[in-house]
Amino acid sequence: MNILDIRGLTKKFGDFVAVDNMSLTIREGEIFGFLGANGAGKSTTINMISSLLRPTGGEIRILEKDIAKQSRFAKMNLGIVPQDLAIYEDMTAYENVSFFAGLYGLRGDKLKERAEEALEFVGLSDKAKSFPKNFSGGMKRRLNIACAIAHKPKLIIMDEPTVGIDPQSRNYILTSVRKLNESGCTIIYTSHYMEEVEEICSRIAIVDHGKIIAEGTKEQLKSTITDVKDIRIELKSVQGTEGELLKPVPGVRTVLQEENVIRVHSDAAVDNLNRILKQLMDAGKEIRSVEEQEPNLETVFLTLTGRNLRD
Amino acid sequence: MNILSIAIKEMKHDFRDRRTLLFMLGFPIVLMLILGLALTNAFSSEISVGDVKVAVKDATGGGPLSEAFAGFAKEVGKTGVTFEPLKPGASGREEVENNHVSGYVELTNQGISLYGSSRDAIESNIVQGMLASFTDKYNAAAAVARIEPAKTEMVLATGGSDYIRELSVDANRTPGSVDYYALAMTVMVGMWAAMGAGALIQGEVLRGTAVRLVIAPIRKSEIFVGKMLGGIISNLLCVMVIILFSKYVFKAYWGHHMGVVIAVLVSEVIMAMSLGLAGSYLLKGTASRGVISLVVQLMSFFGGAYFPILDDEGGGLMGFLVNLSPIRWANHGLTQVIYADNVSAAWPVLMLNIGFAALFLGVSILAMRRREGL
Repeated sequence: MNILDIRGLTKKFGDFVAVDNMSLTIREGEIFGFLGANGAGKSTTINMISSLLRPTGGEIRILEKDIAKQSRFAKMNLGIVPQDLAIYEDMTAYENVSFFAGLYGLRGDKLKERAEEALEFVGLSDKAKSFPKNFSGGMKRRLNIACAIAHKPKLIIMDEPTVGIDPQSRNYILTSVRKLNESGCTIIYTSHYMEEVEEICSRIAIVDHGKIIAEGTKEQLKSTITDVKDIRIELKSVQGTEGELLKPVPGVRTVLQEENVIRVHSDAAVDNLNRILKQLMDAGKEIRSVEEQEPNLETVFLTLTGRNLRD
Repeated sequence: MNILSIAIKEMKHDFRDRRTLLFMLGFPIVLMLILGLALTNAFSSEISVGDVKVAVKDATGGGPLSEAFAGFAKEVGKTGVTFEPLKPGASGREEVENNHVSGYVELTNQGISLYGSSRDAIESNIVQGMLASFTDKYNAAAAVARIEPAKTEMVLATGGSDYIRELSVDANRTPGSVDYYALAMTVMVGMWAAMGAGALIQGEVLRGTAVRLVIAPIRKSEIFVGKMLGGIISNLLCVMVIILFSKYVFKAYWGHHMGVVIAVLVSEVIMAMSLGLAGSYLLKGTASRGVISLVVQLMSFFGGAYFPILDDEGGGLMGFLVNLSPIRWANHGLTQVIYADNVSAAWPVLMLNIGFAALFLGVSILAMRRREGL
C-alpha cells in the first residue's frame, strides 16, 4: 500500500517556483531518504505534506486519502520531527510529550501510557520530570522525536534529526529510526550527512530546483553513475588551492576537500591519474595515499546536481 | 478539550516564568508603595485651621442686634473663633490688611458688614459662613418679634451653637494616594496583558513549536482561543493578586461594587490581549513586541498610572493623548464606581473595551486565516 502519493505538486512564492510539478510515491514500511541541497525544495515539500504550506497545485495523498479533503485523517497518521527543536523548555519532558500527544485525542491512562512509552523509546524515562533547559543537545533531539511518535503515527517525517549532536546521541537516534521502522512506521528521512542516508534508507530521492532528479535504492542510484570515477588523495596538508590547481587537468569535474583529503571526481573514460598526481607534486604537495573508489551517494549527488549536499 | 489543554499550557508558561511574574506583581506593588507614600500630601484633602480672631466694632449703641451678637460670639467662641472688640482708635480694615485678625465685623443699625482677609481665605470663609447663619437666625427672630415678641428668645435659642453646616460641593469620598495608585497600578497591570499577547503566537513561532501545533489534528481557532483563554486567566490572576494585596496589605479602598470593578478589569484584559495579538499579526516579527511595549507604556503614562492627570488638563494635544488611553477610561470609570457609587459609569468603559476587543480580534482572525501556519 502506498503511504504517500504526491502528484504534480507545485509551490510558487510569487514568481519563484520552489517545488515544480513533483511526483513521488512512498510505500508502507520504507525508510525513504529525501536529499537536496539548501533551497532545492525539500523543506517546502515536507511543509506541504505536513499541511504547514498550501500547495499552489497538485495533490498529496496519505494512505490514499487527499490531505486537502481529509486533513484530520492525514494529520492523525503523520508525525513530524522538525529540523529545529520544537519543545517547551519550561515544561518537563513528560509534560511536553503528553501535551502534544493530547492534541491527537489521547486522554487519561492511554495518554499517560503512550507518553511514558515514547520517553522510554528515546531513552528519557529517567528524565521525565526534568526540564529540557537542563538537557544536552542530544537529549533535546531525542525529546523532539518522542513528541512526534507518542500518538503512534504511520508516517514519520524526520527533518535532519541529528543536526549538531554528539556521535553517541546520533547513533542512538539512528538505532531508534530503525526500531521505529521495524515496528511498522514508514519514515521519510532528510539529512546533510550522506553516510546516514546510505546507512539507513531503503530508497532515496534526490531533489534539485524543486524537482526529483533521481529516485531509487542506493545501488540503483550509484549504478546510474558509470561515467565518473572518484579519486581519493590524502595529502600532508591541504591549502584549499587544490581545486584551482587541478582544474586544467583533462577530465577533472570537481574537487572536494575534507580535512587533509581531496576527492577528485573525474570522467571515467579519461586516464588522468598520473597527470593529477604530477600536478600536485609539481606544486610541492606531499602525497600520503591515493585510492580510486567506487562512486558513493555523494558522487551521485554531486554528479547529478553539480553541488555538494552541504552547499 | 484541546482549548482547555492549550489554555493550561499557556498558564504553565506564564507562572513558570519567574522573571516576568516578578515584574508583573513586584513592580506594581513596589510602585504603589513608593508613589503612594511619596505623594501622600498631594492627595490629602485635610487642612488644619488654627484659632480665628475677628475684630468687632459695635456701632449700634446697644439694642437687640448687639445683644444677639454677644450671645452668638459667646457660642462660637467655643469652636475657636473669637470675636474681640476693636481697640479704640484702631481701623478694622487695617487690622485685617496687616494680618492681625482674620476678619473685621461692623455692627450698625443698618446691619452687619464683614471684611475678610484674602490671605486667610479659609478662615474668612468660615467666619462668613457663621455670620450668614447668625443673620439668618437674627432675621427670623426679628420677624417673629414683630408678630409675637414673646417667642423671640426661643427662635434665637433654636439650633444652639449649630452655626456651621457642611455644604460641600463634592460630598463623595475621595481617593488617598495609596487608593489612587492601587487602582492605577491594577489597571496598568491589566493593560500589560497586551505585551504578553504580543508574544502569544510569535513565541510559538520562535520556539519552533508552532509547527507541532499546526500539524496536529486541531483547528487554528482552537489554538487561538486556547491561547487567548490561558493568557486572559493568567493576567486576571495577576490583577486579582494586586487587588487583594492592595486591599489587605495597603488598606486601599475598593468600594462596595467589587463585581463591577472586576467586570471592567476583565473587559480591559480581554481588550489588551486582543490589542497585543492584533499588533503581533500586523507588525510581524520580533519588532512587534517592542512596539507593543512602547504603546502600553505610553498608555500608562497618559492614562495617569504614574501620576494623576486631572480633568482640567484635558485640552489640546495632551488632552487628546490622555483620552486615547484605555487606562484613562478605566481609571476614570472605576473611580466613579468606587468613590461615587456610580455603577453606571462602568458601562461606557465596558462598551469601549469590548468594542475595541472585537475590532482587534477581528483583525487578528483575518490575519491568521490569510497566513499559512500560525
